[in-house]
Amino acid sequence: MNLLLSYIYYLFLLLLVISAVFSIASKNLLCSVIFMSLFNLFMVIIFLLLQAPDVAMAEAVVGMGFTTALFIITISKTKEEEK
Amino acid sequence: MKYYCVLLIAVLSLVLFLSLQDIPVAQDLMPASSHYVNSGVRDTGATNLVNAILFDYRGFDTLGEATVIFASAAAFKMLFSHKRIFSFRYGLSPIVKTGMGIYSPFIFIFGIYVIMAGHISPGGGFQGGVIIASLSILLTLVYGLWYKVRRTVFSPAISSNIESIGGFLFLGIGLTGILTGNYFLSNLDAGFFAGTPGHMFSAGSIPILNIASGLKVAAGLSIIFYSIAGGE
Amino acid sequence: MKFTLVFIIVIMSIGLYGVLAKDNLIKKVIGISIMEGAVFLFLVSYGYRQDGAPPIITGYETRIVDPVPQALTLTAIVIGASTTALMLGIIIKIFNNYKTLETKEIRRLRG
Repeated sequence: MNLLLSYIYYLFLLLLVISAVFSIASKNLLCSVIFMSLFNLFMVIIFLLLQAPDVAMAEAVVGMGFTTALFIITISKTKEEEK
Repeated sequence: MKYYCVLLIAVLSLVLFLSLQDIPVAQDLMPASSHYVNSGVRDTGATNLVNAILFDYRGFDTLGEATVIFASAAAFKMLFSHKRIFSFRYGLSPIVKTGMGIYSPFIFIFGIYVIMAGHISPGGGFQGGVIIASLSILLTLVYGLWYKVRRTVFSPAISSNIESIGGFLFLGIGLTGILTGNYFLSNLDAGFFAGTPGHMFSAGSIPILNIASGLKVAAGLSIIFYSIAGGE
Repeated sequence: MKFTLVFIIVIMSIGLYGVLAKDNLIKKVIGISIMEGAVFLFLVSYGYRQDGAPPIITGYETRIVDPVPQALTLTAIVIGASTTALMLGIIIKIFNNYKTLETKEIRRLRG
């Protein structure tokens, strides 16, 4: 890759680390799941920069569509009742 | 307690870095990959090399992965077998329902296109199958659960039949290779139609395997979602 | 290439910390999913060749990126999603029985 693309690649790797840290360290469960979806989005962009279109399409559909929906349904079913 | 965890993770990551830092940055392809690249189009007839590797050179691993999805869907159906709390009883407002009624055929056709053109352009059986499964999630969210149960195409009762049809199609194509005297899951030696590479009807049995895998993945993930959302 | 390796090890250790040190069960599942993401990135990034084209043959390329790690990663993504879905189903069953999701409480209650 030329110089500009390699700088963009390192920027997206840094954003990946930041979103993983925020996903583990936040107190609200819904915030953690949204940052998890952002983690999958940055992985899709990195796969496109590494010239892999099949893997990017699979990760986009599975990570950001299916897993996030299942997480949100689980969180809504395991909320404790308000006293 | 947390300080012990940080210490253990630091030691493990240092060991990992010291053992992986000497992998050389290669300039040419590995011997196996260069064989796949040089003779891929001649052996299989497909121009998408990743699809040709997944369904022709390594077709047996794809059969194992389809078995994993089948086992996961069966375990889900066993865990959530009673009719439980309905959480999606009412749908959304009429504006969203009208818009979704215009959108959903196009999403369905796009999913079928990604499955069918898997051997020419990026795509394949898995990606298209998950697109169709996410269409069933979308219809459940917008229209509510009572509407979905009465439909016939995406209903939960017919999904298990579609999954079984997909699995038997995959195994049937594999057994055709044995019946003609070659190995299991053979492509061009068993006499499948191989046209010119780059057209829609070419590459032997790869489009049929794409359709079987797409049906299996779509039905399996649909069953998982219907079980967890409180359907029957 | 060592720069990419350092980042991947950092992401993997963040996921491992989430599994070991957090108390909520859902945070443990998120940690496992982050560790799987780091492994996919490692596989695909070591298959990249300099100035390579995507692995679709049209007759105009000179260098092609390695197609074998992409096939392995495709299977691994779908299996990871199935495993995560099954873990979430078991978490719902645990909540129905114990009425809480913290590991300290689940270890104390008996039936």
